[in-house]
Amino acid sequence: MGSVKRIEFLLICFFYARVSCSSVEQKIYVALNNTTPCVRLLNATHQIGCQSSISGDTGVLHVLETDDDLDWITKTGPHAPYMVLMDSFTFTRSSMMRLKNSSRVAGVAVIHMSTPPDKGFSPHTSCPNQNTGVYTESYGPDLANCSTTVWNPLGNGLSYEDFPFPIFSLADDNETQVIRKCYEDHNKRVNGSAPVYPLCAMQLFSHMHAVTDTVTCMRRTDLQNSFSINPEQLCDPLMDYNVWATIRPINATAKGHKQNESMVIAATRLDGRSFFYDLAPSAEGTVSGIVTLLAAAEALRSVTQVAPPPRNIFFVFFQGETFDYIGSSRMVYDMQNNKSVIDFDNVHSFLEIGQVGLRREQNLWMHSDPISRRNETVNEEVAFLVSNIKSAASMSNLTLDEPNATQALPPSSFQRFLRVRPIPGVVLADHQSSFINKYYESLYDTAEYLKVSYPPNLSPEEQLEYETEAAKSLTEVATLVARSLYKQAGGENSVLKNITADTKTMAKLLYGFLVKSNNSWFRSLLPREMVSKDRILESSPPQYYVSLSQNQQPKSVTTFVKYILANMTGTATNLNQSQCQNPKDIPGESKDLYIYDWISGPASENHTAGEPFCVRAPVRLAKAMSPAFELRQYGSREYSTWTESRWKTIKARIFLVASPQLQMLTLGVGIAVLLVSLVVTYFISSKADILFSSAHDAPNTTY
Amino acid sequence: MEAQTDTRFVPHFPLIRVSNREIMNLERVSNEEKLNLCRKYYLGGFAFLPFLWLVNVVWFFKEAFMKPAYTEQPQIKIYVKRSALGLILWVAVLTTWITIFQHFRAHWGEVADYLSFTIPLGTP
Repeated sequence: MGSVKRIEFLLICFFYARVSCSSVEQKIYVALNNTTPCVRLLNATHQIGCQSSISGDTGVLHVLETDDDLDWITKTGPHAPYMVLMDSFTFTRSSMMRLKNSSRVAGVAVIHMSTPPDKGFSPHTSCPNQNTGVYTESYGPDLANCSTTVWNPLGNGLSYEDFPFPIFSLADDNETQVIRKCYEDHNKRVNGSAPVYPLCAMQLFSHMHAVTDTVTCMRRTDLQNSFSINPEQLCDPLMDYNVWATIRPINATAKGHKQNESMVIAATRLDGRSFFYDLAPSAEGTVSGIVTLLAAAEALRSVTQVAPPPRNIFFVFFQGETFDYIGSSRMVYDMQNNKSVIDFDNVHSFLEIGQVGLRREQNLWMHSDPISRRNETVNEEVAFLVSNIKSAASMSNLTLDEPNATQALPPSSFQRFLRVRPIPGVVLADHQSSFINKYYESLYDTAEYLKVSYPPNLSPEEQLEYETEAAKSLTEVATLVARSLYKQAGGENSVLKNITADTKTMAKLLYGFLVKSNNSWFRSLLPREMVSKDRILESSPPQYYVSLSQNQQPKSVTTFVKYILANMTGTATNLNQSQCQNPKDIPGESKDLYIYDWISGPASENHTAGEPFCVRAPVRLAKAMSPAFELRQYGSREYSTWTESRWKTIKARIFLVASPQLQMLTLGVGIAVLLVSLVVTYFISSKADILFSSAHDAPNTTY
Repeated sequence: MEAQTDTRFVPHFPLIRVSNREIMNLERVSNEEKLNLCRKYYLGGFAFLPFLWLVNVVWFFKEAFMKPAYTEQPQIKIYVKRSALGLILWVAVLTTWITIFQHFRAHWGEVADYLSFTIPLGTP
């Protein structure tokens, strides 16, 4: 009976290990919760990112500060493999490549310091989206591969390296203090001599399922799905949704060419990235464009209702542009195949907002494509667009200019449209040639870098309304964009001065997109169930990594842009909630032309919930998944093939590790005890008759 | 007490249901039936079931080579030897193939994936 009880107890222990038997684990390990891993991404030919072994990689901690430490880690230190702890200033290409090429490194933990390095830092490539833009061997070969202008000269390409060990980012907080203390107490070298056991060690788990390239992992995923009983997904394509809206509604259910529609496309991008998984603040790189276009859309709303211009304006926010133009290439593909709401014959011209948040003095630059401008008619139309923007600028403090006529277009969604047809278009940006942005696609491209900062002692509500210098300067750009679009759409000059973007709106946009998405303004613009249930609003800025859309739900940034754009281009209606959900039978309402959203409404002064109402807006989402996955061409050179590997466990923990000798001794003693007990049991069992014969009366109970 | 210990320490392996009447072990089977069993296992092995041969070799090794001679023993010997030969052949072939496959799996790429039933996660 006793043994049965013991087995029961062990089973219970086994099943409830986390509840009742974890005390030993808790005593040994300190789990680190505030970490972000670097994960593996794959394209048609390569894998990038990091990975640990399936049971996690363990190493003795060593802080990397000087070249001496680097030698210690890679050559002389006696406790290899090492887990390298560094702060983000030491996280450079030269040190990382030395660690990558050493077999004595178990992993790297990078403590993110909030002060950015002065000389700049960009883990992205120096020539973003090099192979999927418009410039190739057949189209402007002398401009291909950034041969005339290196757009991101500070880019060190670390984000595109493949590391054989895990790399985690740690926020600089209490946890890092614990790690530092553990290191100081146990691992610090005294007078250059090696520390003695027990030593502080770290274990990182980030085992990735996918390997080699997208072709391999998609093939294996398909194979698993076709005949495995327990299919194991290996990777998923990066995807989300583009957001678009028009100033005059168009029938969104009818695909293909729209009769009598000529569109001026106003575009920007929605996503960015950094070295670490989903951390992507992308303030200058992405948000400056988003807020400018949103504010411009609002500036145009009243004017286009009173004096609609002859041409329509098509606002579009492309998702996944960082990863070889996922969103724009999908829209272009859909337009070519009559799967989009418009086709190429509907496109009149193109105005793209690039990075506009860091202007030097008052300068903005109008980039255009020199190759398509060799064509006389295209050149005239581009010159017309440029003159329209310049005339709009003449009403403001901004100085606009064109860069050198032989300079290529910077990386932009517009390039994907040019691949199909020489559309006249301009990319508006704050840089003449190379990016001004010193922290392109890095963790330092934050609100602080855009100078969105607030005086101390402001409440969140006051910060939301506070008009920073950045807000004022971006409002000017938004006004310029709105006026240029109106003029380009054939609007009257006399109305132009009535088009002004609102600084207050810009302040709120910047606050919501860069500081805190959970603010009263965002809450008032979203449907109530989204505010309460979905928890997409956070007390931190949204992250701009495109990621995978879980359960076909658009990610938070896309949702914000959709509802804000609905607010900027739509109108409030008197419909009640049920009518709002199903406005089919109501005269004058059409689900083909508009979406209807039952939104929370602004909260009143005493912080009670607002009065919800129905907004009608010509805003839509369009799937942004690379056509390569639609066509199942996983090795495509034309379309983006980026996929994200799946994983099971991501975790990090520290603990004290004993010397290998002590470990072996413990193991040896354990095995010896086991063997001795086996032998003893055998002898007792075989001599049971003699040993127990006198001890019992009923033999049946012995067994 | 004595009887009890006896039944407990008789090795129960290998057991096989020869007829639906009783479960038997080799000690209690007539020599004729031993030969019959051995032949069944030997012939069964030809249906690409090398493990039957393995069982045959292990099970009848004592009968074939250790026990004092009896009439059926030469025939059992032949079956056991042939089973052993077949088994060795299988082991050789499988080891060679598994070594080659594991070594070149990553290199073969697509072909190897189609040949695999489960693909290890996170390895090329």
